[in-house]
Amino acid sequence: MNLEKSHKRYLKKFPWMDRLRGGWAIYKQNLLGKIGLSLLVMFALMAICSFIPPLIDPMYQPMTGVDPEITKSTGPSLRHWLGTDFMGRDLLSQLLAGTRVAFLVGVSAAFMSIVLGTAIGMVAGYMGRFVDTFLMRLADMIMVMPTMLVVLMLAALFGQLTIWTIVLIIALFRWPGVSRVIRAQTLSLKHRPFIEAARVAGASHTRIIFRHIMPNVLPLSFLYMTFRVTSAIIIEAALAFLGFGDPSTVSWGMMLQWVWKTGHMFKAPYWLLPPGICISLITLAFYMLGRAMDEVLDPRLRKEAGTE
Amino acid sequence: MALLEVLNLSIGYHTQKGYLHAVEDVSFSLEEGKSLGFVGESGCGKTTLGMALMRLLPPNGVIREGRMLFDGGDLLQKSDEEMREIRWQKIAMIFQAAMNALNPVHRVHEQIAEAILTHNASIDKKEAFEQVEELFQLVGIPKDRMRDYPHQYSGGMKQRAIIAMALACKPRLIIADEPTTALDVIVQDQILKEIMNLQKEFGISMIFISHDISIVADVCHDIGIMYAGKLVEHGSREEVFSNPAHPYTKALLSSYPTLTGEKGQLMPIPGETPNLIHPPSGCRFHDRCPGAKAACKTGEAVWVETSPRHKTLCYQCGADCGE
Amino acid sequence: MKMNNDRETIIELEHIVKKYTSRGFFFGTRGNEIIALNKISIKILKGEIFGLVGESGSGKTTAGRLIVRLEKPEEGRIYLNGREMAGLKGKALKNFHRKVQMIFQDPYQSLNPQLSVFDTISEPLVIHKIGNTEDREDAVWQTMKSVGLSPPDDFVNRYPHQLSGGQRQRVAIARAMVLNPDFVVADEPTSMLDASISAQIFNILIEMREKFQVTLLFITHSLSAARYLCDRIAVIYKGNMMELGSADQVIQKPRHPYTKALIDALPKFGLSGKVKHYNTLLPVEREASEHEGCPFFARCRVANKAKCSLERPLLKETDDSHWVACFYAENGTEKGF
Ligand SMILES: Nc1ncnc2c1ncn2[C@@H]1O[C@H](COP(=O)(O)OP(=O)(O)OP(=O)(O)O)[C@@H](O)[C@H]1O
Ligand SMILES: Nc1ncnc2c1ncn2[C@@H]1O[C@H](COP(=O)(O)OP(=O)(O)O)[C@@H](O)[C@H]1O
Ligand code: SF4
Ligand code: SF4
Ligand SMILES: [Mg+2]
Ligand SMILES: [Mg+2]
Repeated sequence: MNLEKSHKRYLKKFPWMDRLRGGWAIYKQNLLGKIGLSLLVMFALMAICSFIPPLIDPMYQPMTGVDPEITKSTGPSLRHWLGTDFMGRDLLSQLLAGTRVAFLVGVSAAFMSIVLGTAIGMVAGYMGRFVDTFLMRLADMIMVMPTMLVVLMLAALFGQLTIWTIVLIIALFRWPGVSRVIRAQTLSLKHRPFIEAARVAGASHTRIIFRHIMPNVLPLSFLYMTFRVTSAIIIEAALAFLGFGDPSTVSWGMMLQWVWKTGHMFKAPYWLLPPGICISLITLAFYMLGRAMDEVLDPRLRKEAGTE
Repeated sequence: MALLEVLNLSIGYHTQKGYLHAVEDVSFSLEEGKSLGFVGESGCGKTTLGMALMRLLPPNGVIREGRMLFDGGDLLQKSDEEMREIRWQKIAMIFQAAMNALNPVHRVHEQIAEAILTHNASIDKKEAFEQVEELFQLVGIPKDRMRDYPHQYSGGMKQRAIIAMALACKPRLIIADEPTTALDVIVQDQILKEIMNLQKEFGISMIFISHDISIVADVCHDIGIMYAGKLVEHGSREEVFSNPAHPYTKALLSSYPTLTGEKGQLMPIPGETPNLIHPPSGCRFHDRCPGAKAACKTGEAVWVETSPRHKTLCYQCGADCGE
Repeated sequence: MKMNNDRETIIELEHIVKKYTSRGFFFGTRGNEIIALNKISIKILKGEIFGLVGESGSGKTTAGRLIVRLEKPEEGRIYLNGREMAGLKGKALKNFHRKVQMIFQDPYQSLNPQLSVFDTISEPLVIHKIGNTEDREDAVWQTMKSVGLSPPDDFVNRYPHQLSGGQRQRVAIARAMVLNPDFVVADEPTSMLDASISAQIFNILIEMREKFQVTLLFITHSLSAARYLCDRIAVIYKGNMMELGSADQVIQKPRHPYTKALIDALPKFGLSGKVKHYNTLLPVEREASEHEGCPFFARCRVANKAKCSLERPLLKETDDSHWVACFYAENGTEKGF
């Protein structure tokens, strides 16, 4: 016994790190995943760089900085690499600031809706009976409401929405899809022998949900999160394009709105194309990330890579 | 001449982690009308061997070496076209867990008739159904249950239907891969008797694969014991059971609880089955063998004949090893 | 064998009836009612390994699940140490979960794929708030060694998919044993494993009994495994108790035609010709009512049609603590078996 105690144990604090490494090994082999990840790294760099231009010169403030020498939209030049908009604001700084907003909106809205959806799905699936019925009816009701329309109505009611309100609305309206998937997963887990083993050991419902069900549905939630990011970015862009964006921040959708409103749609490709391409690319990147994650989470593949 | 003669067969799989040596240097022969049983722990290459004989290995499987002489011709030299004719017509297989592969939306007898029709172009639909009726009678499925759907069958009946399917073309060789695993004892007993009777009645040769040594003991004339991709002992049933030579066979036999005789202590085989991507050097059993000597780790095990119909692959057998 | 003389009962099932209703094809319709257990009474004595033997669907698992409270009986009572289980609440219930554990049939399904071996085995300790981190580590290490997962260092950080079937079942046994329970239900713990690995698991279970004085309900479909492990054996068929007695009585001198059929069906290691056959099984089932008469009547070769098809035989003691539910257990039928 004493010998036993003095023996140094090889209990890893974070054994799941190994699995992460195994997952990364699979991910690395996926071409789509690599492209997606590279794109995301690029956008992340852009978002970080968005702080630089205003430091160089106040005229590079994306929203308020105006080049005093320019009064109309101009094409790319040394001074303005991507050109300026109708008021002489720098397009590159706007594009970079837009990246930041896209990440902020996309990731936080997706994160919130996933947290909501996962929690509700697990509770509905695990508790069953009327809790399940009630939550799923609610989900159905929200699911049939077109998010866009609701947001537009709210915007019409309350005037301009701040970026955080938009995030919140997207989160509140986008959980039902996730919760349905998580509920189905929970239902299939609920009667698995390992859950029953926990019940035999005397585990409480909360413990079973958080300790045994949650780790098994989280990978799926995470997968859905990557797809949700895509839809959140698109919703925000669409809102901004329709003129309901947060007026204190520049987003890509807003840039597009300005092109449209000032009649530069067909005259200034240097203005129209960058935000358009960025929106397509970032949504594509998250989509590719999701696809690759899908493969990482595939238990058959995981087994191959995991066994010694 | 033997109906089937397998010489120095080596089979492997290409996997992400490297080449897996699933079957290595296996040779045996099977006479017309006889049955040969392969026993070994799961993962020792039994299914792989059976699939290779049917030339139905998955795409990442390769037959690296060896010959499989069936009825005088080498199966490995046959074209895909020729092989398709041999399958079912001459060699039929009862796949592991095949009974769960019956299509739930079609009636059982239709599925069997379908199989007959695809492998035998010379008969028409009506004849095929007549044949099915005969076959079902043969394997003991009552006539009035013929038109049922698979889910209406019990496990034993499904397995009977699968056996009927294998018999459909009156093959000369049947390869049965764990045909009774997952069945209850009583049903298992009935199916085994059925298989034995049919085999005797039609003089079909059979290769019977199982992880359960007691079943093979009841069914087969000859027994081959496999360990980690190698055939380690081969001989007549009586010889192998009354006079096991290889330490692994002895270990297998003493790890199996029996109903009769002394209720002794079971002696499980210590350790785990080896990794076949990097198989152990020398004798593959050396790290679990109670009688292993230093030489077993390095030297190549050799075939020792303990009697004319009984041989074993062991470095030091003959001198009584494993004691 | 090494049984205590006082023979205290630890678990008692009393007239247990368990029914399942399969859901009907349409909404609201009730499907068939399946009687999984029909008035079963069993007393399991402290320290013994009690074997429950039967074909699949005979109700073995159901009995085990009732004992660990994963299921509730429709009728009858279950007692642990003389105390009825049905009404347990709060602390008493928690205490119950400490004392009664289960090992499940399929080790590929009974371990949480997302928990490491250490987390899995220490889980019951955490649930019952036993010891501090270090005590728990000690307990896990000790238990792992006693189930043959050694050195534990090699295994604690692994996940189920990195273990073989036999190793997984050892982890499952360790999880059941770590709380030092009084009673463990082992539901066909080796049916998914190879014969050679099964023997390892059997020996571990026997060691557990010696080491921890635990009582085991060993559920199996194999009489030879039951013979090796168990002190007493109960044979059940379609939820009915058929025969109950010491392992030697049931296997050496079986009295029920069904038990005899089970023994006949076991592989004989190529000795079929030399072994005595009881021959009590009809090759083709005969027509029989589901609800009347002896449950085994449809397949029983030695049945007396006039009696067996109408009346249900009761469990009767034939000789010393050897119970059989057959009219002709003692002297055979007129056909003379
Ligand atoms: N498609 C495959 N790809 C890679 N490896 C394989 C494949 N099929 C089998 N193997 C490996 O080949 C070896 C032999 O497998 P095989 O299925 O023949 O064993 P077995 O003795 O029939 O086992 P079991 O009783 O579990 O079916 C094992 O190590 C197995 O993991
Ligand atoms: N959850 C369930 N719903 C409906 N029927 C069930 C359920 N569980 C078991 N049964 C039925 O109860 C009977 C006994 O089952 P079980 O105890 O699992 O048998 P065994 O363990 O001996 O295989 C079987 O007929 C089975 O189909
Ligand atoms: S060669 Fe050596 S290790 Fe292998 S079986 Fe024979 S005695 Fe054992
Ligand atoms: S009571 Fe009759 S039918 Fe039942 S087992 Fe005995 S002899 Fe057979
Ligand atoms: Mg196999
Ligand atoms: Mg069961």
